[in-house]
Amino acid sequence: MINISQSILVITLLSVLLSLGSTRLTSLVKIMALQGVMVSLTPLFLKDHGSFGSGAIIFFQIMILIKGLLIPGLLYMAVKRIAIKRDIEPFIGYHASILSGLAIILVSVFITNSLRLTLPAGHDIVLITAITTMASGFFLMMARSKAITQVIGYLMLENGIYLIGTALTKHSHTLYVVEFGVLLDLLVGVMIMGIILHNINSAFDDVDTTLLGRLKD
Amino acid sequence: METFIPLAIAILAAPLFPGIILKVKAFFAGKNGPPLLIKYYTLIKLLKKGSVYSNSTTFVFKLGPIVSFASAFIVLLFFPFAGGSPLFSFHGDVIALFYLMGIGRFFTVAAALDTASPFEGMGAAREVFFSTLAEVTIFTVLVLFYRLTGSLSFAEYFTGENPISLLSASGALLLFVIVALFMVMLTENSRVPVDDPATHLELTMIHEVMVLDHSGPDLALIELGSFYKLFFYAAFITHILYPFTAASSLVNGLIFYALLSLIYVAIGITESIMARFKMDLVPKFILTSFALVFFAAILTMGVLQ
Amino acid sequence: MDTFLLSLTVLFAGGMFALIAHRQFSLMKAGYIAITVAGSLMGLSAIWPTLQGGSPVSFSTTWLHLFTLSFTVDSLSAFFLLPIFAICPLAVLYSFHYMENSEQCGRVAANYFFLNVLVVSMALVASADNLIGFALVWELMSLSSFFLVMYEYQKEATRKAGYIYFIFTHVGALCIFAAFALAYSSTGSYDFASFADMPAKVKAIVFFLALAGFGSKAGIFPMHMWLPHAHPAAPSHISAVMSGVMIKMGIYGIFRLYASLGVTDLIFGEVVLCLGIISGILGVVYAIGNQDLKKLLAYSSVENIGIILIGMGIGMIGVASGNMVMASFAFAGALLHVLNHSIFKTLLFLGAGAVLHKTGGKHLDLLGGLMKKMPTTGKTFLIGSVSISGLPPTNGYVGEFLIYYGAFHGLTLGGSSFLFVMLAIISLAIIGGLAVACFSKVVGMVFLGEPRTEKAATATEAGFSVTLPMIVLAAASIFIGLFPEPFINLVFLGLNGIKSLQLVGPEEVAIVAGNLAFIARLFLAIFLLSVALRKLFYLKKEIVRGATWGCGFTQPTVKIQYTGTSYGMSIVDFFRPFVRIRTSYSGITRIFPGRTTYESRIDDIAEITLMDRIVSPLLYLLGKLRWIQHGHIQLYIGYIIVTIIALLLFI
Repeated sequence: MINISQSILVITLLSVLLSLGSTRLTSLVKIMALQGVMVSLTPLFLKDHGSFGSGAIIFFQIMILIKGLLIPGLLYMAVKRIAIKRDIEPFIGYHASILSGLAIILVSVFITNSLRLTLPAGHDIVLITAITTMASGFFLMMARSKAITQVIGYLMLENGIYLIGTALTKHSHTLYVVEFGVLLDLLVGVMIMGIILHNINSAFDDVDTTLLGRLKD
Repeated sequence: METFIPLAIAILAAPLFPGIILKVKAFFAGKNGPPLLIKYYTLIKLLKKGSVYSNSTTFVFKLGPIVSFASAFIVLLFFPFAGGSPLFSFHGDVIALFYLMGIGRFFTVAAALDTASPFEGMGAAREVFFSTLAEVTIFTVLVLFYRLTGSLSFAEYFTGENPISLLSASGALLLFVIVALFMVMLTENSRVPVDDPATHLELTMIHEVMVLDHSGPDLALIELGSFYKLFFYAAFITHILYPFTAASSLVNGLIFYALLSLIYVAIGITESIMARFKMDLVPKFILTSFALVFFAAILTMGVLQ
Repeated sequence: MDTFLLSLTVLFAGGMFALIAHRQFSLMKAGYIAITVAGSLMGLSAIWPTLQGGSPVSFSTTWLHLFTLSFTVDSLSAFFLLPIFAICPLAVLYSFHYMENSEQCGRVAANYFFLNVLVVSMALVASADNLIGFALVWELMSLSSFFLVMYEYQKEATRKAGYIYFIFTHVGALCIFAAFALAYSSTGSYDFASFADMPAKVKAIVFFLALAGFGSKAGIFPMHMWLPHAHPAAPSHISAVMSGVMIKMGIYGIFRLYASLGVTDLIFGEVVLCLGIISGILGVVYAIGNQDLKKLLAYSSVENIGIILIGMGIGMIGVASGNMVMASFAFAGALLHVLNHSIFKTLLFLGAGAVLHKTGGKHLDLLGGLMKKMPTTGKTFLIGSVSISGLPPTNGYVGEFLIYYGAFHGLTLGGSSFLFVMLAIISLAIIGGLAVACFSKVVGMVFLGEPRTEKAATATEAGFSVTLPMIVLAAASIFIGLFPEPFINLVFLGLNGIKSLQLVGPEEVAIVAGNLAFIARLFLAIFLLSVALRKLFYLKKEIVRGATWGCGFTQPTVKIQYTGTSYGMSIVDFFRPFVRIRTSYSGITRIFPGRTTYESRIDDIAEITLMDRIVSPLLYLLGKLRWIQHGHIQLYIGYIIVTIIALLLFI
């Protein structure tokens, strides 16, 4: 009765909306963990992705591990250890963010319909989710002031790209290898960010990126 | 007869259920709590008393309780309790009924402003703002329902061949509706986390502060009206949860009241484990409920159907 | 047609009488009112056959041996003539006790004269049947209303308001005339009937040009700026006529244009709908933010125009996509809201005028407690407020319900139409909720609570000629709410003129109207039962009067009451990107603080944008051309000669 892949995608979309409306960094990180798991599960449940070899199974397990556990875990540690003020401090308010999220979904629906790609059945909602996730990632980077939310926005962008890959391909996991490389880069990025944030935090009082703007002189 | 009995039971039983909330809250606090019938006792006590009216007030103050009671009561006449046919129904009645609730709100607010009390004014300002947002969610729900079934009245939603319910073909979308309506129910009936009627400080209340100056039978009417309103919302959610299509109306009734009690228990649990939001987070809370339903409505645009 | 023309002649004669007899102040007022009421009644009887479904009547004459002026009263015109002939005499009657200053009898007489010119010109606008006639009477309408706004011309603010109105109405007229010129050059005929023959592209340009023009008269959002200036400046019965009746002529223009162009593309409906959504929501938000009673009502007119446009937009989308149930009910709702708005908005403006007249203040935060001092004004104003909030069982609800009903039936459409319709429903819900907030604020701050100033405390009820029109209008409000059937039928009759619209059958209309009437009466019955129940409970009960519970505070003053500003601020703040809020706070600096001040004001973004982006650059540019002006008459004669010679070269 309820299509599993669709439910996963709907949960992904919801996580996007929630992340735009969340006021606390810790809850934002938790939402990202959920989103990571959901996004990496998506290809497994799409109908025509067919059978998976043992390599693929291991591949997807690592994917879930990194997206759902490792990166969010590191982010969580960064939030906790560096004792960042837990409020998110938006440039664009929460109400406006939620409404923008809805608008982004709407636009994605229209883009997907107007692209007229010949997608496999059931893949158009993947594409909608992908575009929404990407755009919301950008939005999050744009609309929030903390460095860590920018990383989270980047993570969301990456999730979106991963989904686009999923939507446009019908083949096995080999196509995700590039994607995997990006993910590893991202992981490194998160780690570096943690270290840098730690240093910034010990050097300055705050990790607000608006303050970084003053460094230009 | 078929239509009168469920309605009569609903009208009589509505004050029972808020007692369940109190019981659940008491359970969480490790107390015994008041008896289940406490709200009946309260009503009887209030009806026996006289009233004190403020010197500032006019006839508008007395209209407040009457109109808010009448507007809450009329909704019950149009609602198909436990899947039975309602007393009255027509295509489009939902729009009218939610607007009738609006007139109840208008006069409650006017009565509050009539007392010249700053606190009541504050509560009134919050009430009109928050319920505007809640109304938006509700109308989006109606949009979604029309999109799914093409019907525009409670009777069409929940009775007949193909009632709206979680078990129907488009059940996944209704999950959003249920969550959103639960949030709206908390908002419109001034429950935690939107409003805390039990707090000691009038400054932080929304609905409760507006009725501070009412007393005696007037207050009883307001209370009864608020029980009906809560009962209506809970019944609304119950019907979306489960379609009451069983042949026997007795079975339907039993399942209905069991599920209804569960909703009240859920309210009680929510009240026990959550704290009241900061006032500026309330719009976000209601807006989230709107986002959920709007999202579900977008999904009907040829994507998920 | 003879009765119609006769009634207009009588109305004009009434205006002339006022001018002639202005030395005898009371006689002039009484005579003028009697003649005007008689003229209006004749007008009503003239349109009565058409309202009953009779055939259109027309009249035409030649002008300057060159143009033909023709006027036709068809069902759509008759529907718009109804508020003109029904509302205006009430406003005129109201002025008997409202215009009490006999020293300025000349000005009052001039005001009366222009008021009747306005009424006559509006009646002619609603019945004009060709371009030249329409343009003439449209201009007459704009000019006469300009003079009405300028009644208190000594005041700086009034003059400013008058000039703003003058500019807006003429820029609007410019657009309309441009559209007409384009239409004429395309069809070569002055008749509205020939509009349908234009090529589609020209139709689109004509439609949008005229929409801008009619929109500036009706007060569609970015072109609404004259409303909040002109309404507070004009005397209240003039504001009532202008807001209740005159701005509807803009709506009439759009209706007439749509009917005669016969356009059925989606884009027209979508644009009108979007304009409606913007006007509706922002109108009511600014109404909540403004504390000047008449300014607030002006913004609320913008909101109601928005509701009407939402209805029209949905109707047009319905026509475009062939969904006639949707189209019929949405158009009907829009048209009915025209009538309804003219009733309750007039009522509210008259009430505001009575308050202003008796207390001298129109700032919400300086009033209060007037329900005890002015009970009739208060009660009728309360009914008007309920009605304008679109709440049953009053008339405001009937129109909105029909729009909702049409909109919901449009939800089955696919793609972008679904989206537009859904947004329309959501914005109607927002508008409804905010209107409740806005008018509970007005009633609460002006009529309830305790008086906030001495003047409000000593106010008295206005005279019978002031209260009588308000009672009539309030009764009409409730009557339409409880007995909507004949009015809905009237509206459907009015819609017959739109060719592209196939109306739904009378059976379906009767069912919907019957249901509406049923729920209104049911609510009334339950309300009365509750009243009886309450009476029963209070039998032999002790009733005590005391002070309001101050939540532990024992020394309340009237100043601690919640003000209109704070009441609306959280809502206005929610819409912040679209509303500019400016606050200035002196702050507390010392341990024993001195006098501190806090001020907040809400600016209209449309006005700010117009000032910053258009007016200032224009002024700068024109400042560069100032060298042309020297003030020597010889130079100007030189200019004229040069111009004439230059023009002669082109012949």
